[in-house]
Amino acid sequence: MANRHQKHRHQNRCTRLTHHVCPMCCILPPYMSDQIILNGDATQKEWALRTVRASERFRGRREAVGMVNFSSAIAGEKRRTIFDAETGTDLPGKLVRGEGDPPTGDISVDEAYDGSGITYDFFNDIFERNSIDGYGLRLDSTVHFDRKYDNAFWNGSQMVYGDGDGELFNRFTISIDIIGHELTHGVTQYEAGLVYRGQPGALNESMSDVFGSLIKQYSLKQPADEADWLIGAGLLTDKISGVALRSMKAPGTAYNDKVLGKDPQPADMKSIYTGTADNEGVHINSGIPNRAFYLAASEIGGNAWEKAGKIWYVALTERLRSRANFRRAANATIAIAGELYGIDGDEQKAVRNAWKTVGVIA
Amino acid sequence: MRVTFERSGGFAGLMLTTSLDTATLPPSEANQLRQFVQAANFFQLPTEMSSASQPDRFQYDIAIDDGKRHHAVRVGESSVPESLRPLIDWCMEKVRGG
Repeated sequence: MANRHQKHRHQNRCTRLTHHVCPMCCILPPYMSDQIILNGDATQKEWALRTVRASERFRGRREAVGMVNFSSAIAGEKRRTIFDAETGTDLPGKLVRGEGDPPTGDISVDEAYDGSGITYDFFNDIFERNSIDGYGLRLDSTVHFDRKYDNAFWNGSQMVYGDGDGELFNRFTISIDIIGHELTHGVTQYEAGLVYRGQPGALNESMSDVFGSLIKQYSLKQPADEADWLIGAGLLTDKISGVALRSMKAPGTAYNDKVLGKDPQPADMKSIYTGTADNEGVHINSGIPNRAFYLAASEIGGNAWEKAGKIWYVALTERLRSRANFRRAANATIAIAGELYGIDGDEQKAVRNAWKTVGVIA
Repeated sequence: MRVTFERSGGFAGLMLTTSLDTATLPPSEANQLRQFVQAANFFQLPTEMSSASQPDRFQYDIAIDDGKRHHAVRVGESSVPESLRPLIDWCMEKVRGG
């Protein structure tokens, strides 16, 4: 499986270089940057990196390095960069903290820095994955985006966090699983590429919740039965009646509030949402695969990231394609559980039981 | 003029909706709403302006009936035309109880 994995990565990378040379055009000719990245020695790669960094500082723009990765030059190292949008909407904003810099005292900046570091460590330590793309992509985050912005998102190349409005939401860096969630959107983009609509979109969302929660559990050293399985705990202000935004353990129960309404997530296929809001319910129907993961991890027992996490990670990186639906995800994870831990072993039974319980398979 | 507004998606996945009617709004607000709709050239906007490629962005669904015309628009947060932004911001103020 290791060889196959490497091969897959290599293909993925070549494709990406072909597609994304444009942001480099203004600095190095694309053929040159490609050659340096693919064939250059460590010094050359570092030179290319420095050149681009210098240009980036000069121009104050992230496009210079954002889409092309120099990381093979310094494999296995995390590189985090935090920007401040200063309540504007231009990205990435002002550079406020780079890798190795001391805390700034701005809690959003420091939470984004620490959270992306824990996320990097998680993927590196558990799955030997070097950053979002597998090649050490620099982790860029912008905080203080817009005014009273009630959201966080992944824009295709970086994380973006709002401060919240203070009425309904606190700042979006407050919870490590939100940071893990956003970064996992990056992993999904480079791997399964699940389209962000309908069931594939709900799987995309669920992968972000699964690994976001695992990153929190890993950072707290919590086994499955001690974890809260909540997404966004601490994000809702104390004016709201609710514990979090989503519950993987009990979808539909995270909040019930006069302003926010009730948590709309279904816990099984009988109540799947079929409307058009939210890209056909990507944040709604993610409750179904979320609960399947919780059930599988709980039945397997121990640390959820070790076996259940591994099964889901292999599905995300090697088995699922962009239009996969819940049934395909169920079949893939059941097959992987058998390959990794034995046909009809406890792990495979647990995964099968989980998807049955949520009604995805009969 | 009747307006129904819905914001869905975002990391939080909340569904926030409101219905507004110029017949029941205070006259100054009703005028403001009509101006925003006109400035947005709303009835000429495409029905679908998507930004499905950016995870966790908001989706806005806006439908307006002015008695003669009915038009509905679905737009992703990163595709919102500048001319439509004031109408969306104003509706969000109403959703928040402003």
